[in-house]
Amino acid sequence: MSKAAQKHGGSSAPPGQDDDICPVCKSARYLNPNMRFLVNPTCYHKMCESCVDRIFSQGPAPCPVAGCGRTLRKQRFRRQTFEDLQIEREVDIRRRVSTIFNRREEEFLDLRNWNDYLENVETLTFNLLYNIEVPETEAKLAAYAAQNSDSISRNAALASAEHDSTEAAFAAQKQAARVRREESLREDEEDRQDRLREDREAQERIAQGSTAKVTLKKSTARRKDGAKGAASSGNAGPSAAPAFEIQGLKPVAAPEPTKAYDPFGGLRIRSEYFAQQRSCEHPWLDKAKNDPAIVTGGYDVREYCARAMVEAFAGMGVFVDDEVGTGGGQAAATERAAIAAGTDNRTEDVL
Amino acid sequence: MAVSPMITYEQQSDPSPSDTKQLPLRTTSVSSLQDAAIAATQQAQDFAERLNEETRSKYVKDKKLGEGTYAIVYLGHLSRDPSSLVAIKKIKINTEFRDGLSMDAIREVKYLQELSHPNIIALDAVFSSKNQNLNLVLEYLPLGDLEMLIRDTNGIQYGTAEVKAWMGMLGRAVWFCHENFVLHRDIKPNNLLIGADGEVKLADFGLARSFSDPYRPMTCQVITRWYRPPELLMGARFYSGAVDVWSVGMVFAELILRSPFVPGSTDVHQLEMICEGVGTPAETNWPGVTSLPGYVSFDKRSLGARDRNYFVSRFGTAGPIGVDLLMSMLALDPRKRCTARQVLEHKWWSVEPQPTDKQDLPKKGGGMEKMGEDLKRRGGEVDDSRSERVARKLDFGAR
Ligand SMILES: Nc1ncnc2c1ncn2[C@@H]1O[C@H](COP(=O)(O)OP(=O)(O)OP(=O)(O)O)[C@@H](O)[C@H]1O
Ligand SMILES: [Zn+2]
Ligand SMILES: [Zn+2]
Repeated sequence: MSKAAQKHGGSSAPPGQDDDICPVCKSARYLNPNMRFLVNPTCYHKMCESCVDRIFSQGPAPCPVAGCGRTLRKQRFRRQTFEDLQIEREVDIRRRVSTIFNRREEEFLDLRNWNDYLENVETLTFNLLYNIEVPETEAKLAAYAAQNSDSISRNAALASAEHDSTEAAFAAQKQAARVRREESLREDEEDRQDRLREDREAQERIAQGSTAKVTLKKSTARRKDGAKGAASSGNAGPSAAPAFEIQGLKPVAAPEPTKAYDPFGGLRIRSEYFAQQRSCEHPWLDKAKNDPAIVTGGYDVREYCARAMVEAFAGMGVFVDDEVGTGGGQAAATERAAIAAGTDNRTEDVL
Repeated sequence: MAVSPMITYEQQSDPSPSDTKQLPLRTTSVSSLQDAAIAATQQAQDFAERLNEETRSKYVKDKKLGEGTYAIVYLGHLSRDPSSLVAIKKIKINTEFRDGLSMDAIREVKYLQELSHPNIIALDAVFSSKNQNLNLVLEYLPLGDLEMLIRDTNGIQYGTAEVKAWMGMLGRAVWFCHENFVLHRDIKPNNLLIGADGEVKLADFGLARSFSDPYRPMTCQVITRWYRPPELLMGARFYSGAVDVWSVGMVFAELILRSPFVPGSTDVHQLEMICEGVGTPAETNWPGVTSLPGYVSFDKRSLGARDRNYFVSRFGTAGPIGVDLLMSMLALDPRKRCTARQVLEHKWWSVEPQPTDKQDLPKKGGGMEKMGEDLKRRGGEVDDSRSERVARKLDFGAR
């Protein structure tokens, strides 16, 4: 692929005269003003629409341009966007690369890393553009695409969300402008009607020779009306002033690939072991298991058993508490011993 | 913690005599041995004094942060590193005490020393100051407590994802206590302090104790009234971790309602409010309840337990599965109440919405950027530019 592409893609004839003659059928635009040229992004050889119809309507066929011969499909032919086919091709390549390398700056720790990344992508793009090490580069691109498919689709979704939100903002702004325009038209109209009515009333009053008092009252009412109008237009004011600005379109934050929430916070405590110990037989415990005075409040002897097991096996110093206050001196001593290291100055009490 | 385990079945089956037998043995030792003992004691005392001095000099007390019933809390820092802050809780000596130390302080030290967990306040050190005051060096938690957030209905908005995050942290703390056989017995929003990173930490172990041994009654005068379960209100002296789970359920309800669920003004009133809000205890839903010492009959309002629809109507924002969890935490019969472990095993944690990350949780005043954002946002809404509203909506949706 690389050699052929280098020869043809790399050296397109200067635009101008070439522009008006189909390189395949040699018919000239001069003779056929409706003639349109199409290109296929496989090789970017241009030809006229009727050639495309003629050659590719029956299915894929080799490119008729001398020395090319690459297989082309009709549906991939399209209008040229850029006059210079070299540019057309470059844009296509860049578009393809950027849909794969769509990392975002905020994904990088610092600017340095981001710039390095951009430079690498540019090198890769350059290689594709100028047909340098094309197979290796293509392989690199494919490997990256395969390894990063998650991030690629995530960022693509982000980009399209951003695009949508920009669109939405535009649309909304337009809509707002329209509403404001209509509003102000309506206000103008109301104003006009008001003035007409007032004039009419004034004339009537003059005709009836009415008193000044009435006029005064009317004018207060009018003033109030006016204030209301001003307030409502004041409301529309600030948004009407700056004609066009999209601010604060914060890029949608990338949804972190969240790991499932663990209610236990990653901690597991000897669960299975004690599930097995759930029933613990000892005549001494029977009353505690069944006496309504003990179990109705929720006392569960199994908790005691579990604790006893832990103490027996781990030798853990869980202190006996003497909640009742009348408890033995031993427990109290233990408590004091617990803080002795830090605090106690009456060590004899402990002994 | 250099204490050997001292519980054996035999001793416990007959606790009082064996407890007292050991002390007299020591006091009646031969007098020549006594002198040696005194000398040894003196040595140990000096050593303890030196240790204490060392610990004390490691910290510097700064300004006062607040005052509770039995302690004053100061901000402090490490002498060698002024940027590393601690809270120093100085126990007042004049309250209920025993041999110079209040029981609350003893409990707090004892249990905090044992429990090391991200959702339980850490106790770094203990020392006594010159006038024999006990000082606990605690982890400094600068962002207030959960109560402040619940009450600040003007300044702080939150939703189910935030409630879930806070409940998750509370659930872990209580589960961890119970796994280590410690009852906290004073769970309430005001004892749930918040760290700089948004982590909720269970604090105030002044009423904690370990699970009791069989036949050993406990006091029922624990847990702040609004969070106290019916079995304690009815005077049960034998109870379990279920008492804490009830309090957790009450905190859950309060987070949703943003006001206490059953704020009784007396113990009797509290029971009445529970009857109305949660259901009326009866033999049908709680076998044996009528034999509890403090049982009073509530025949005039014999509703039995409140049904699901009622809970859904009041706590629907938690979602149907959240309502299930709440109801199982507020079961009247403590034996039917779920355990702290079952709380964490509940399905609610895995359904949408996911709990908010702790660093994104709303913060009291301190979260200045957040407040600034809110202000900006509100300002933005005043000038009715529609485009702004649209953009904001998208921004929210994506979060
Ligand atoms: N670790 C801490 N970090 C920061 N502030 C704290 C810390 N512990 C306590 N405080 C502050 O000190 C105040 C007093 O705390 P303390 O636990 O002694 O009393 P309380 O819990 O408010 O009341 P009570 O002990 O009567 O229930 C608290 O309200 C809190 O503002
Ligand atoms: Zn042609
Ligand atoms: Zn070709």
